[in-house]
Amino acid sequence: MQQEFIPVLIQIVIATGFAVATLIASVLLGKRAKRNQMKDSAYECGMLPIGEGQARFSVKFYLVAMLFVLFDIEVVFLYPWAVSFKRLAVDGGQLVVFFSALSFIVILFVAYLYALRKGALEWKD
Amino acid sequence: MPAYALEIIVFSLGLVLLLVDAFAKLEDKRSLAWLGMLGLVVVFGLLFKVEPRAADDANVFWRFYSDSRMSLFFKGIAILSTILVLAMAIDYRGLIEKFTAPAEKKAHPQAGLGEFFALPVFACAGLMCMASATNLVSIFVSLEAVTITFYVMVAYMRRNVGSLEAGVKYLILGALSTGFLVYGFAWLYGITGSMDLAEIGAALKSGDVSPTAALFAFSLILVALGFKVGAVPFQMWIPDVYQGAPTPITAFLSVGSKAAGFIVLLRLSAVFLGSEAVAGQVAMAFAVVAGLTLIVGNLTAIPQSNFKRLLAYSSIAHAGFLLTALAAAPRKLEAGQLSSATVVAFYLGAYLLMTLLAFLVVGLVRVHRDSEEIEAYRGLGKSSPFLALALLIAMASLAGVPLTAGFFGKFFVFQLAIQGGHWWLVTLAAIGAGAGFYYYLKVVAAMYWDDPTGAAAKAAAIPVSALTRAAVVTLIVLIVIAGFAPRMILGLIG
Amino acid sequence: MTLVEFIVFAPLLAVLAILFGSPARATAIVAAVANLAAAGLMTLRFPVEVESKGQVIFASSRNLLASPNLNLAFGLDGISLVLVILTVLVTLAAVWASPAEGRIKGNVKLYYSSSLLIASGALGAFCATDLFFFYAFHELALIPTFLMIGIFGSGENRKRTAWTITIFLGVGSLILLAGLIALLVETGGKSFAFADLYAVGDKIPADAQKNIYLILLIGFGILVSLFPFHSWAPPAYAQAPTPVAMLHAGVLKKFGLYGLIRVAMPLLPEGAAHWQTLLLVLLLGNILILGLVTIAQRRLDTLLGYSSVMHMGYVFLGIASGNTIGLHGAVLLMFAHGISIALLFALAGAVRERMGTLDMDELGGGLAKKAPALGLLFGFAAFASIGLPGFANFAAEVMVFFGSFQPILETKKLGALQWAGILSLWGVVISAVYMLRAYRKIFKGPLTDKDAKAGIADLTLTERAPALLLIVALMAVGFVPGLLLKYLTPTLEAIAMSLKG
Repeated sequence: MQQEFIPVLIQIVIATGFAVATLIASVLLGKRAKRNQMKDSAYECGMLPIGEGQARFSVKFYLVAMLFVLFDIEVVFLYPWAVSFKRLAVDGGQLVVFFSALSFIVILFVAYLYALRKGALEWKD
Repeated sequence: MPAYALEIIVFSLGLVLLLVDAFAKLEDKRSLAWLGMLGLVVVFGLLFKVEPRAADDANVFWRFYSDSRMSLFFKGIAILSTILVLAMAIDYRGLIEKFTAPAEKKAHPQAGLGEFFALPVFACAGLMCMASATNLVSIFVSLEAVTITFYVMVAYMRRNVGSLEAGVKYLILGALSTGFLVYGFAWLYGITGSMDLAEIGAALKSGDVSPTAALFAFSLILVALGFKVGAVPFQMWIPDVYQGAPTPITAFLSVGSKAAGFIVLLRLSAVFLGSEAVAGQVAMAFAVVAGLTLIVGNLTAIPQSNFKRLLAYSSIAHAGFLLTALAAAPRKLEAGQLSSATVVAFYLGAYLLMTLLAFLVVGLVRVHRDSEEIEAYRGLGKSSPFLALALLIAMASLAGVPLTAGFFGKFFVFQLAIQGGHWWLVTLAAIGAGAGFYYYLKVVAAMYWDDPTGAAAKAAAIPVSALTRAAVVTLIVLIVIAGFAPRMILGLIG
Repeated sequence: MTLVEFIVFAPLLAVLAILFGSPARATAIVAAVANLAAAGLMTLRFPVEVESKGQVIFASSRNLLASPNLNLAFGLDGISLVLVILTVLVTLAAVWASPAEGRIKGNVKLYYSSSLLIASGALGAFCATDLFFFYAFHELALIPTFLMIGIFGSGENRKRTAWTITIFLGVGSLILLAGLIALLVETGGKSFAFADLYAVGDKIPADAQKNIYLILLIGFGILVSLFPFHSWAPPAYAQAPTPVAMLHAGVLKKFGLYGLIRVAMPLLPEGAAHWQTLLLVLLLGNILILGLVTIAQRRLDTLLGYSSVMHMGYVFLGIASGNTIGLHGAVLLMFAHGISIALLFALAGAVRERMGTLDMDELGGGLAKKAPALGLLFGFAAFASIGLPGFANFAAEVMVFFGSFQPILETKKLGALQWAGILSLWGVVISAVYMLRAYRKIFKGPLTDKDAKAGIADLTLTERAPALLLIVALMAVGFVPGLLLKYLTPTLEAIAMSLKG
């Protein structure tokens, strides 16, 4: 079984080797960069740079994105459940299957109520 | 009632706490903590009323979930630690309020406190699930549930740099270890074809599985779980995370997270130790890790001057003792002998009592003396004799002075190791225990020998609430009784 | 609740009472007197009980764990009775000799509770008939000693000394624990009770016996300050407050020797025989090397500290001989030495309180002129310690020496044991030298430094009483050693038999 992985190994070696080789080549063959502080600073169309390079974002973007991801995944999980409901619900198991999914939704609903009340979805400051 | 009803109740309790916090207009959010504690006390009582499942119950659910005596014991550990953590959190609330939202922006003077009381309850539910998990999937899900809750709790004091740093470190390293765990589980599934621990055990025993692959899977899992319990060389996160996190959370990590990590480790190692082909190397791996942990944990604790950090290193040392019990697991259990799992469970039960007692005092001193250095404990014997006595008993028990619960824990570990003939481990454990005498008594010396310096010299006695006083007295009594009659704890393990 | 359980737990109950507010000194004295009465009762009833119940009397056993079989079991036999009498006498004297509550600067409750805790630990260790509690009770004394030397000790080095004694004793006990667990494992690991261990005892293979005996010898040796593990003891005794020094040097040290007689020798006879030569060499180190070091001491407290370490050599000699008369001497010497050293430390404490120093050059001389009772009692104590006939120490040391020579009757030549006995005899000379010199330098001769000593008061009645109690005990046993020896004979003969066979 191990023999089948040899091509993979060769591929890894070639890929890594190529990357490393080109980097080394550029270091050896290229000119030494003459760097000074002026040349290294950010270019802002001739104006002097002010402020931080990376501006801070308000956390509200992050909150909305997190909540979106969570509820999106909830929907994603409901999809295979819905598709295989018929097969799962055999011989009177319908109630169990239904209430399992319902409890999942209820838990996330409680989380939603909590987030709503705590102002996680408020957009203004 | 079936055992899984307990987790459902605890989880619902957590949800109720969140809803009450969000919707009810509470004057004093401490009532949330009280509600949580009362709920958990009820659940603890229900723990004794659990009916074991019927022998012929073939529901698939029981492949994922076990309600053995051992699982119930670890659930009890989880519930008790959560109750005491909530009690500690009540005392610690001033610092939480100070380090969460800035004063101008708060809707309520105690904003941010409600969740601090609710999160431990969720972690408790996760710990209880971990105690019962017998399938790789349920182990992983409950482990992640607990770990993620802890990420939040550790970084809870977001205006405090230490807490944030601790949270980030825990998150990064925890995520890395989760990666190792998943990879290990994937390997294990790949070579045995099943996620169920019983079936995996059978497959490994049968000999169809390549030992190299099994060992590789084991080493990955050992890395991940070693991280969780604080084994060397995966222990680097513990001192910084324990020191930075809020004190109740440190206590919770130290007891609850470690206990859960060990029950999972016990279950998984039983699977590997049952297979003839790999049992020898697995035991050897445990022995090496245990030996390293004993040395590093105990020796690095000696120079510490920050008491919370010292307790962090000492928890690494205790993990070393627990791993020794695992490494010395007897091949064949004779009648009248304690099994490795029972010794680990007993040790963790005793560890819960003494660690939570110590942290109760540490939290109070942090709040009222504003410091975690050993210097802050100087003269505590004179100014607050009750707390000093409590900390003295906790330190004596942690060091392993006889007639306390901690001694029996170490005694059983020594006994297992000597029975198995692991004399190197016994020597290292003895050196470690000897070092423990020094660093645990350092704070006792500061409390009783020295006079208070600086601000503490003029400070009054530290006020102790009735709840904390009751908790401290109960823990002291339990530690001493268990030191005489280990049957108190062993009887619960079954 | 049997008498034995009462005697062990009474001091602990007294500690609880003190914790909850009862007056410290009064409670402690009441507890010590109650213990003395109980011990007296037990002694009187001893012959009767032995007739009816066999060797171990007042036995009690409360099961704490089914497997391995662990019981809170106590019982008394001859050896334990003698050591219990020693402990209650020294405890009463120690508590009595403690300064009055007004004169203690600091936590009075802690001061008296510590003595009681140490006493309870010693009693529990001597009376336990279960290996686990035999070990566990001894450790009860560790933390009180740590706190007492650190807080109430004398000398600038007291904190360092407190650390040294705690770490040494802690490590020693861990080594001992390893040895005891190994012993337990070799005997099947099912039960901790002495009776069960003895039943299995002689079936332990010889190699295991040698290894385990060595571990136990080192463990017990550290606890008893056997050479070369002795360095913790002299500074600790010198700098400890008086009651702690009395209880440690007088009582607690005997635990290791008791352990050797009770546990190591009956269960590991071949191991004992194998390591006898090593033990003889080490005990000679105690007697001769440390004896010479004692002579060089300039301070009374360190002198007494080294002296107590030195005298342990004789007890080891008695144990090493392994025959009836040697063992009798060893146990009697444990009693006699315990009482005499406690007495010496009490009187030294009295001197320190009056003069503020125990440096013999600074003290000058002639103290007996100002404090004649103190001088007289110290004289008695000094002679007892040297081994003057009429005191129990003489009877005991004589038996030890006879014991070391007794095998000559069979072997007809001088072996290692006999040479050890011959060399140990010089210890008597050495102890005479330093003890008499100390006595003369401090108490006798012309009164120097008259102004400094002007205000010195003699021993008060409260201070004389404990000293008298101890001296009377020493002289009673010294004149009639049979008072105690008769209790020892049955048990010690059984042990001697098992060693021969």
